[in-house]
Amino acid sequence: MKTFKEFNSCLFHYRVVSLIVLFFMAFQTLHGQEIDILLKGGHVVDPKNKIDSKMDVAILNGKIFRVAANIPESSAKKTVDVSGLYVSPGIIDMHVHVFQGTDKYSTSVANSSRSQQADAFSFRSGVTTMVDAGTSGWRNFRTFKAQSIDKSQTRILAFLNVIGNGMIGRFEEQDINDMNPEMNAYMIKKLFPEILVGIKSAHYWGEFTSVDKAIESGRLADVPIMVDFGEHMPTNSIESLFLKHFRPGDIFTHTYSEISSGRESIVDEKTRVLKPFVLEAQKRGVIFDVGHGGGAFSWSQAIPAYKQGFLPDVISSDLHDQSMNAGMKDMTNVMSKFLALGMQLKDVIERSTWAPAKVIKRTDLGHLSVGAEADIAVFNLREGKFGFTDVRKVSVVGTKKLEAELTLRAGKIMWDLNGISGQAWKN
Amino acid sequence: MGFEWNQRTSLEKLIFLKFIIMETNLFYTEKSRFMNYFYFEIRSRVIISLQRVSLFLFFLLSPFLSRAQDYDLLLKGGRLIDAKNKIDAKMDVAVKDGKISRVSADIPVTAAKKVLNVSGLIVAPGLINIHTHVFAGSNPGFLDGQSSQLPDAFAIRSGITTVVDAGTTGWRTFPEFKAKVIDPSVTRVLAWINIFETGFSSGSGFEPDMGTVSVQKTAETIQKYKEYIVGTRVGHYKGKSWIPFERASEAAKIANTPLFVECHMPQYTLQEQLDHMSPGDIITHSFENVSERMTVVDEQGKVRPFVLDAQKRGVLFDVGHGGAGFWFNQAIPAFNQGLWPNSFGTDEHRTSMNSGMKNMLNVMSKYLNIGMSIPEVIARGSWNAAKSIKREDLGNLSEGSVADIAVLSIINGKFGFVDSGQNRIEGDRKLEAELTVRAGRIVWDLNGLAANTYK
Repeated sequence: MKTFKEFNSCLFHYRVVSLIVLFFMAFQTLHGQEIDILLKGGHVVDPKNKIDSKMDVAILNGKIFRVAANIPESSAKKTVDVSGLYVSPGIIDMHVHVFQGTDKYSTSVANSSRSQQADAFSFRSGVTTMVDAGTSGWRNFRTFKAQSIDKSQTRILAFLNVIGNGMIGRFEEQDINDMNPEMNAYMIKKLFPEILVGIKSAHYWGEFTSVDKAIESGRLADVPIMVDFGEHMPTNSIESLFLKHFRPGDIFTHTYSEISSGRESIVDEKTRVLKPFVLEAQKRGVIFDVGHGGGAFSWSQAIPAYKQGFLPDVISSDLHDQSMNAGMKDMTNVMSKFLALGMQLKDVIERSTWAPAKVIKRTDLGHLSVGAEADIAVFNLREGKFGFTDVRKVSVVGTKKLEAELTLRAGKIMWDLNGISGQAWKN
Repeated sequence: MGFEWNQRTSLEKLIFLKFIIMETNLFYTEKSRFMNYFYFEIRSRVIISLQRVSLFLFFLLSPFLSRAQDYDLLLKGGRLIDAKNKIDAKMDVAVKDGKISRVSADIPVTAAKKVLNVSGLIVAPGLINIHTHVFAGSNPGFLDGQSSQLPDAFAIRSGITTVVDAGTTGWRTFPEFKAKVIDPSVTRVLAWINIFETGFSSGSGFEPDMGTVSVQKTAETIQKYKEYIVGTRVGHYKGKSWIPFERASEAAKIANTPLFVECHMPQYTLQEQLDHMSPGDIITHSFENVSERMTVVDEQGKVRPFVLDAQKRGVLFDVGHGGAGFWFNQAIPAFNQGLWPNSFGTDEHRTSMNSGMKNMLNVMSKYLNIGMSIPEVIARGSWNAAKSIKREDLGNLSEGSVADIAVLSIINGKFGFVDSGQNRIEGDRKLEAELTVRAGRIVWDLNGLAANTYK
């Protein structure tokens, strides 16, 4: 055993050595190549910092080091030519189901192969952060964390389901005795504040019990709630949800859903007029999330709503087995639908980066400010004739489509479609 | 989550709930016994009478049904490439009851319920990826694990209708794989069975108990699941003994299937591996450049003579791209000297999916830009692959075959393709999956070819 004196002298030596190392490092960074990766010549779209112009982006130690015009190549260890491409903060997909597993008792997305693997869909679509929308509840969140969140390269955050069992089956989701606001708040506030960003209420067949229990949980934990307001028998009033139950900042997902029963649409199905309280609700701070999914995006809602001045607050995919090969496909496809609708690229990017970051109160994400984690998406905006299909097999033709060219997560290149960061092969 | 549930009417939901409650005997009490009996009695009578009515209607209407609109789906005006039937021409394909019903130069649009204009596109048999790892689950590693991929997440969007899992399971673990992945998938999932009893969780990195490396059990399992298992697989074995390799080969011979030889067997030389292989056996990771195995191309850029000899003997070479298994300094000289891959297995798994591999169409596009012609690429992605796994019912568009179809587009532009060493080549063409049909059903439709235009 070392004496205290020996220990102290060890500590002293350690300090001296680390000072020398630090000095050496500082000297290094002042001279020569101080940047790890330089993305050169791209068009930067960073809505938080109001940038929409040609800029270079420099990355050091996994963080954004500098954003400026004409950062010299000589200052970088690696330069990637991204001219002709759009450089955006890493996309945040605020509505996914990624609690993938093989629990034979699950009949829905929790811990089943109906959820997808985050990394299989994220980087190839420019996504660096996914927010799981209530696939797990407090009882099975730890399993979700151990097998999916901790194993993924994608940053995974989550809404905790108001139901303790999460989405393991429709019947279990009706159990109001499994809605425990104190436990939910304890999970979010005390145990997993880094991961849990809100509460999800979904698939409830009764009236407002689930929503109200979610709001109670949200109040205790000081987080927003996200509501999938489907499957009610009979249909509940969305006006009441928006204006009487929701707090500012609470999220209505599946905004453009149009189904024959169970959920009220925001656009009247006969007159195609946007219901007047929708804009009022949005003005009061209700957040409208796309949550495309396998059954929740109809052009017959999106187009009239857009023409009447309504834009979604957040664009998201609702990734799961029923949506991935249908009209949804992936996040870039969903974003491209809003380009086809007529939105500007910077508005589409804002609703997929900085807007969701604010909604989930993770303002450290969704932008390219100096010092921020270097989560970056580089997009190619393809030109051509593309078809975009909704969940009712109705399509709209667009002339532009986003394609993820390069995706960086914490400064590391995770996806490189055309090898622009690779070296040319020489025979 | 937007579910089909959302699309049901309240009445349908009530009937469904009632059905669930009765069928599962939820809320069972003594009092409900009579009700249950009553319910099942009524139900069976309804079913029988419905069957009678539909039979009657069928006979009554069958003369009319066969006249107009014979086909469920007609793909019109595409460039049809079907290597088995030696077709590379503008042809229409008609689908009925999940099968290819007719292939002909001009099938009238009035003959089909749904007609899709696929002019300008390639119509190919549904593609076959003979090297994947798809036993995706929650455990660490490949077996029921996080390192494997879910088949439907990758296959369908790449025009693939059949994937073959490369030995993730052995005879002990295959039934679980079948229940958890094969049965629920939209993609047809077949398998190479690992000679090691539990598949990827055994044999890797240590000397297994040779008593468990069973020819008999493996051959019996193939026999029992011959609809799904296409052969045996050996790989990921660090020992010196040839017992695993020889037993894998023996089991394959008994079952009359090929042997699939994977990687990570550093004690076996490449020449020894090839010498132990019979005609029709398949070696994968053909163009890898790693310390664990000798490369197929030597330092002077020449394909080693014993490799060409093996090819001449009928040993097949699969790409098996993976994370580290495809290098241009191997693949390009090999291609130029006649060592072409017979199939484009991707070796799909967690670490390959986002690297140079990406998806099978990307791997196929590499060869398109290296110099392989379109029909040659399509043949290797479909018919050659089907033949190599002895599933000649697949990979073709013969009339009567299952209607697994890939409609592909070739996009022109400036593209880059990287190998496992981050080396990049440029290319001007790339394949993209427009439409995927699995057993007659449209399961992927990139640009809404089958959709109605919004009005």
